[in-house]
Amino acid sequence: MSDQTDYAGPILEIDKLSISFMTRLMEIPAVMDFSAKIMPGEALGLVGESGCGKSTVALGIMRDLGKNGEIVGGTIKFKGKDLTTMPAEELRRIRGKEIAMIYQEPMASLNPAMKIGKQLMEVPMLHENMCANDAYARALEVVTDVKLPDPKRVLNSYPHQLSGGQQQRIVIAMALMSKPKLLILDEPTTALDVTVEAAVIELVKDLGKKYGTSILFISHNLGLVLETCDRICVMYSGEAIERGSIKDVFDKMRHPYTQALFRSIPLPGADKNSRPLMAIPGNFPLPHERPIGCNFGPRCSYAVKGQCDQGAIEMASVDGNGLHETRCRRYEEIDWLAEPEVARQTEKTDRGAKILDLQNLQKYYEVASSSMFKNKSDVAVVKANEDISFSAHEAETLAIVGESGCGKSTLAKMLLGLETATDGKIQLLDTEIQDTPIAERGTTAVSSVQMVFQNPFDTLNPSMTIGRQIIRALEIFKIGSNDAERRNRMLELLDLVKLPRAFAERTPRQLSGGQKQRVGIARAFAGDAKIVVADEPVSALDVSVQAAVTDLLMEIQRKNRTTLLFISHDLSIVRYLSDRVLVMYLGHVVELGTADQVFSPPYHPYTEALLSAVPIADTTIQKQQIVLEGDIPSAMNPPSGCPFQTRCRWKSSVAGNLCETQVPDVQNLADGHQVKCHLSPEALASMEPVIKTAAEADPT
Amino acid sequence: METLSWGAIIVRILLQFMPVWIALAAVFVLSITYKRKLGLYGKLFDSKVGMVGFFLVMFWIFTGLFGAMDMIITHDPLTQISGLKNKAPGTPVPDSSKYSGYYLLGGDNLARDVFSRMVKGAFVVVQIAPLSTLFAFMVGITLGLPAGYFGGYLDTALSFAANLILAFPVILLFYLLVTPEIVESGIPNYMAAVLFIFPLIFVGVLLNSRFHTRPSVRTPLLIVVLGSMGWIYLSLISEKGGAIDLVPALLDGFDVPGGILVVFVAVVFVNAPTVFRIVRGLTLDVKTRDYVAAAQTRGESHWYIMLWEILPNVRGPLIVDFCLRIGYTTILLGTLGFFGLGLPPESPDWGSTINEGRKLLSIYLHPALPPAIALLSLVLGLNLLADGLREESLRD
Repeated sequence: MSDQTDYAGPILEIDKLSISFMTRLMEIPAVMDFSAKIMPGEALGLVGESGCGKSTVALGIMRDLGKNGEIVGGTIKFKGKDLTTMPAEELRRIRGKEIAMIYQEPMASLNPAMKIGKQLMEVPMLHENMCANDAYARALEVVTDVKLPDPKRVLNSYPHQLSGGQQQRIVIAMALMSKPKLLILDEPTTALDVTVEAAVIELVKDLGKKYGTSILFISHNLGLVLETCDRICVMYSGEAIERGSIKDVFDKMRHPYTQALFRSIPLPGADKNSRPLMAIPGNFPLPHERPIGCNFGPRCSYAVKGQCDQGAIEMASVDGNGLHETRCRRYEEIDWLAEPEVARQTEKTDRGAKILDLQNLQKYYEVASSSMFKNKSDVAVVKANEDISFSAHEAETLAIVGESGCGKSTLAKMLLGLETATDGKIQLLDTEIQDTPIAERGTTAVSSVQMVFQNPFDTLNPSMTIGRQIIRALEIFKIGSNDAERRNRMLELLDLVKLPRAFAERTPRQLSGGQKQRVGIARAFAGDAKIVVADEPVSALDVSVQAAVTDLLMEIQRKNRTTLLFISHDLSIVRYLSDRVLVMYLGHVVELGTADQVFSPPYHPYTEALLSAVPIADTTIQKQQIVLEGDIPSAMNPPSGCPFQTRCRWKSSVAGNLCETQVPDVQNLADGHQVKCHLSPEALASMEPVIKTAAEADPT
Repeated sequence: METLSWGAIIVRILLQFMPVWIALAAVFVLSITYKRKLGLYGKLFDSKVGMVGFFLVMFWIFTGLFGAMDMIITHDPLTQISGLKNKAPGTPVPDSSKYSGYYLLGGDNLARDVFSRMVKGAFVVVQIAPLSTLFAFMVGITLGLPAGYFGGYLDTALSFAANLILAFPVILLFYLLVTPEIVESGIPNYMAAVLFIFPLIFVGVLLNSRFHTRPSVRTPLLIVVLGSMGWIYLSLISEKGGAIDLVPALLDGFDVPGGILVVFVAVVFVNAPTVFRIVRGLTLDVKTRDYVAAAQTRGESHWYIMLWEILPNVRGPLIVDFCLRIGYTTILLGTLGFFGLGLPPESPDWGSTINEGRKLLSIYLHPALPPAIALLSLVLGLNLLADGLREESLRD
């Protein structure tokens, strides 16, 4: 066919694209003056915080902007043809065939009522009039390519029968069915666990090479872009602000926003006491409140009055040949190598007395297959927590690390009293609370264990003002004797989390994600909590806001000497802020130790894989590639013996079938460093560090 | 006097509705001027469908209210004027000292003015439909929240009961309720006693769960609110010499005609299960949110979580359903009237007038059409209003 012939020029060429959304009040420009070019076989990363317009660019390419969206200027050329003026009929032939898009949520892209095979076969049958047999052969080939086990069985199953990681692989397979020239990935791994994410990213990289597909990779995660892309484009508030090769932008950034972004993410070497993260001051400007001149100007520490706040700023070429460009007027004057001034250094807090002690804690849920006719043999047991023992001290940060399904949320529920334990002991100060549900706990017991939730958009009641919600917590915790006192205390709490007092009268809808999370923190600390369980408190926030919220948590903790149980799957942030780390897998504590002990060898094999999976946005870091095969086993039907044996790469180093038959005992390696593994001390000692810094190559 | 032409009839009817036009104009001008400050209600004026619906609904509400004040009607709706039986629209009233003018929409089988009866009929609907729907919501919410929130056996039992009621033929139920034997046995009164206690429970729990941390506010508030509501409740259900005669006549504030009470009971009884199911479903969704978990972790009572954390956040779909349900109730009232159930035989409500007109429909069309069109336009308006609200609440 004619459109299959090779086209020599760039696959995608976007020139001065502007996209606006028309609302009933005004026109909101979402993307302004955006240009980009993707050559055949090249991968371009599009990076920016939420609301910067990166997804809008992708939807603009697909011409799928919805009712309100409109391309108001510029051109999008795909293989030389302008997509912005293309008739709908022609566009439909290109979509799905030559340009394929992969979205964040795999389940939303698959038809739940149709078998995988049929959905995959539909693509070539529709676009190339292929016969069913050929289409099936192609589907089988592609599913084998995305490394799914037992492809024939997969083709014959429905989407809900697959795990999230497998579903995303199917979505990728579907995108590859028609051998597209351009693949757009919009945050394809955000909904997946880190080890699964690492495997999917590995796959995308390989397939890009194999099929020669050009890739537009949209992400907020700089580490992922470093691993997948050749070139990168950083966006801020609807504009591309820096463009260049990965090496140029990561090592020789020439835009203050890019620099600030790198300083706000926890890279190896950052430390909460001596080298704290630097949050970007201020807030992301709303699309209709953008400043004149440089959009980043009001938050930029290099901004100069009279220079940065006037007129539209054009892209300027840094190296003269247009390969590295920046939208900054002062890039030549700024000393890019200067070390940042460290805002404040703090002393390491000494940990106090033991406050929480868990021993052999166990939680089983019974799941009946049918609630109407209960049959004893039908009752399945979910073993959410199998054997948890640890203790936590005053003023210490204990990180609980693990992927979804490892039982960390169940553990939090038992601490808070939302669930009672099946077996074992939880000792808070000097009372045992494992059997006391929250309704039977006294006010002090309730207020001393509080929680900060993950999703900022869900953590506050949307129909109550901020002030009212904090005051309610104070009322429940019996703090203050009258309304005026409680109101004062509420305002003090707003000061504590660095929110303006005027926010008391606002509803959650009017707050940004980071601000909502601050209110959540204020509410958790309302009753002078002794222990705060923070369940991934920053994972849903943008990187620049993450730093600020993390710092705030640390600061309040230091002041109140609170014990922080920090649940997370993000090892970068865990390394940055925790004193001790606990790694969980399938309801077991597999490793426990100080942060230094856990992050350097000897590792538990699972910790090793986790460390390798975390993308790090630093070109000087060399990582050992350990990709875990398969998914986390179900807690309903855990593997025999060691919970990790099904995915462990060290299994062959243990004699006999010990791993498959016996749950390993806890080995005490060093002072307070525990590993639950059958590996001999010698084998553990022979492990290499996963992350190595090439210190000599470091330009700073 | 000559019989009026159709043009003249229309002009006279429009003039007769003058108070309604003035009130509507005032409402629309004020609402559109301040629509940005009025939340969801204000947004309604951005949607054409919503505005048309709101216009129709407000038209009949104002008609009902002004009609009750004898403002729009041309004649007394119950008075029969001799010589006007089944007369065509626009027929002049025979000159006499007492009567003058025209029967704008003709006379009915008993020589009463069709136009005035239609206007008066609006008040019956405006009185009963929203109030009985509100009661149905109170019942549905008070039972639906715990069913969805706790789940388990409570949910199974309540859902079963709801399905049972929904499966019972509505018309048969109404006939049973007005059968003299059943009325004498006091069943409708006992049902009223049960159904009308729900608003009390609802408000009582609502206030107590919120203010129990501050007893100094809670106790007087509860005494005042529950006291007055309790008095209304007792006056409502007890009747001198009736099945339930609890309160001495001195304290019995008012009596509700037995017929109206039956209509109320019937409407609440058949609407509550549907509301229950909607509330239960919405609760199942919202109870998984983090703010509900946050309330649990600070040890809030279950009723606080249900009424203050969950209920306010499901208000959107409930408001839309409320509008739709008033429409169903209006039709239900029409049906009841049509079968002559509950309301007194002379009542000008639309259902009864349609039924009377129906008997001579093949000869005289005019007595049945106006109430039918009125019923149609009000229900259409309510549905359009619900559509508009739904559409606007989904937009940014």
